[in-house]
Amino acid sequence: MKCELCHKAEAETAIRKEVAGEMQELYVCQACAKKEALQKEEPVAPPPPASSAQGAGTDGMTVLPLMGMILDAAFEIVGRAKNLAEPSCPVCGILRNEYRKRSRLGCPACYEAFAKELDAAILDMHRASRHVGKVPEKAKAALHRQQLADKLDEAVKAQRYEEAIALREQLRKLDGPEAGKKGGPS
Amino acid sequence: MMLKLDLGWPAKKARRVPTDDIAMSCRVRLARNLAGERFPDWATERERERVFARVCEALRAEASDLRVGQVSGFEEQDRDVLFESHLISKDLLERAAGGGVAYAPDGSVCVMINEEDHLRIQGFSAGLDMDAAWRAADALDTRLERHLDYAWTPRLGYLTACPSNVGTGLRASSMVHLLGLRLLGESEPVLRGLERMRLLVRGIGGEGSEAAGQIYQISNMDTLGVDEASIVQRMSRISAEVVRQEHNARERLIRESPLVLVDCLARSLSVLQNARLLATYEALEFLSAMRLGASLGLCTRLKVRDVDKLILLMQPGHLQKGMGTAMTSDERDEMRAEFLSRRVADVKLKC
Repeated sequence: MKCELCHKAEAETAIRKEVAGEMQELYVCQACAKKEALQKEEPVAPPPPASSAQGAGTDGMTVLPLMGMILDAAFEIVGRAKNLAEPSCPVCGILRNEYRKRSRLGCPACYEAFAKELDAAILDMHRASRHVGKVPEKAKAALHRQQLADKLDEAVKAQRYEEAIALREQLRKLDGPEAGKKGGPS
Repeated sequence: MMLKLDLGWPAKKARRVPTDDIAMSCRVRLARNLAGERFPDWATERERERVFARVCEALRAEASDLRVGQVSGFEEQDRDVLFESHLISKDLLERAAGGGVAYAPDGSVCVMINEEDHLRIQGFSAGLDMDAAWRAADALDTRLERHLDYAWTPRLGYLTACPSNVGTGLRASSMVHLLGLRLLGESEPVLRGLERMRLLVRGIGGEGSEAAGQIYQISNMDTLGVDEASIVQRMSRISAEVVRQEHNARERLIRESPLVLVDCLARSLSVLQNARLLATYEALEFLSAMRLGASLGLCTRLKVRDVDKLILLMQPGHLQKGMGTAMTSDERDEMRAEFLSRRVADVKLKC
């Protein structure tokens, strides 16, 4: 995708910019992003209300709010640059912003890719975070196998060898005689 | 002519309302998706076609009695008929490629393919027998699962295109006719109460539709952290309570506000018998009143089942299908008025 400001270089990051009175998100190249960040620093922030004493400078400007604005802008750019590179689903490739716009995920793997924010949203929506209902038959076997494997690990760690042997035997039975032949000593 | 009004008449002539007259039908749907495939909204046409083919293969193996087809392959009127019969959604109607439907000829189960999710398995039942609807959907789901790899994780259950359906993917809904509460001015508090209980309340056409004719669809909101049987039980219990309240409202309406009831019935019957043009939503409002009258046994030669049939047959797809020709909106309004006036010509109020 080309930079939405210079239309020449490849877009590498996203910024927020006022266009025709509206804040818009633009995908831009690094050079344009830097230019925009510098332009944000140039205008002098409006003087704070007289009652504001926090960090008041001699010229009537507050130092801390101005610093805050710059930091915010920087974090915004860094954060969004990271977003472009990172929070896209590795399987279907949709970006966080895209699924947010349409309120639909791209594929089942998106649940992993966007887990951090989705888990919070899901908790808000359902007031729960774990499934307690139906388990597909195919998943039941895998789930059971996983549970046995976890127990086996625990038993080995705790040196409960008799239990471990029994669990290994159960796993062998689950995997079938072929798996036993391949994995076991001949 | 003066209306001879005996304030005791409706109470004497009205019959007790069966539950099914208020709870029109119920539905349980399960949202399912195939592992490793993009959800339909983001999939390419080719990907949707592939999913459709895989689902068709599973259907052929496990539910060969279902009629299967791509939505785009149906005639426009047939598509409308499926939509008006609540078998498919508006979203699926508009799906260009890969959108499909499989339905039992008796209307007990239906699968929407490539709607919002790859599969939306639906079980239907009359009245409030939500358990039957759940059993029908669950049985079909279990059979299809033998041939399809569903996107499922132990933590989040069935993964769906919208996180609002994740978990069981189950939405249980009942369709209820609440005109008695409306005429008493009590429907709003009841509906608000349902929303406070984290239930979704929608108009007759489902999501985004108006509650024309005071027919509402009530469904669960939470799909995660609660198992299927509990959702179905809760929805059955709440729907039964709504039916009880409507029941109660109808009894009070007859006892305390008979004039309001008679006026509503008389106006509606008069319009249906005499109008020359009727739009769908208008007709639904008047038929809704006739449904109430028939349910209370206050109309001659009219049963609730007859009205339910009219509600279906007067809708655009059914009307055009019935006439065997495509019509413009104005032509349909004229045809609808004529059709309904003929059907209710002999109906009289028992007063």
